[in-house]
Amino acid sequence: MIRRLILDVLKPHKPGVVEVAEALSHLEGVEGVNVIIYEIDQQVENAKVVIAGSSIDFESIKKKLEEMGATIHSVDEVAAGKRIVEEVRTPQDRSARM
Amino acid sequence: MNAFDGATTVLGIVIGAYAAEITNESWVIWSGLGVSLAMGLSGFVGAYMTEEAEREKKLNALEKSMLTELTDSVVGKASRFASLWAGIVDGVSPALAALVCLTPFFLSSHGLFAINSAIQLSVAMALSIMFLLGVFLGKISNRNMLFHGAKMLFVGLIITFIFFMLKITQ
Repeated sequence: MIRRLILDVLKPHKPGVVEVAEALSHLEGVEGVNVIIYEIDQQVENAKVVIAGSSIDFESIKKKLEEMGATIHSVDEVAAGKRIVEEVRTPQDRSARM
Repeated sequence: MNAFDGATTVLGIVIGAYAAEITNESWVIWSGLGVSLAMGLSGFVGAYMTEEAEREKKLNALEKSMLTELTDSVVGKASRFASLWAGIVDGVSPALAALVCLTPFFLSSHGLFAINSAIQLSVAMALSIMFLLGVFLGKISNRNMLFHGAKMLFVGLIITFIFFMLKITQ
């Protein structure tokens, strides 16, 4: 069961972030939603969508976003299981940056 | 604003009927009904087709930017609904305004008024509709409502004046 989902979403300006966030928050298994717009173009905008819940159904999230005219560019993070495991920094991450 | 067309057209018919010195109100009623139907249909089709074409173009541009089809999304549904709604409003408003202006003739045909009173009342109703439309425009644009009402009324009075002048010089 998915507990947290971070998505990179491309959406039209309308419906706005308020409508999108509200629509996602009403889905079963979703307890909280955060939508941040990080890039705006003439016709579309890119949003980082963070969804938290007890049992998130990815397919219903995808369907709802498509209904709202949005598309998922990428799934950037998924946390599943009985507890949420945070990202851990390792020495390899540091060396990869250097 | 299509209601303005409805009121203006019926005003023309009624003044024309007055100039022709008609004695039977059915002439005005049937002409008015024909015009209402034609304006209603033309308003609906014209507005619907124009809105649909414009919105389709915008939707296609958005689909290109999104790289996906939006027909079944709320964006596509809203676009289709808005076109239909614009058509209904543009179709119903002139027909309704025209029918309201014809009411005195319906009443006259049932013996409630003399035909001359029906003509006077119908002209007054058409001019009132024009004035109220102007007031409404003034209200939504946050400008002087009475001034805008008077401007619209002036258009109606010009039509009436021209016709009366033509009648006098006949």
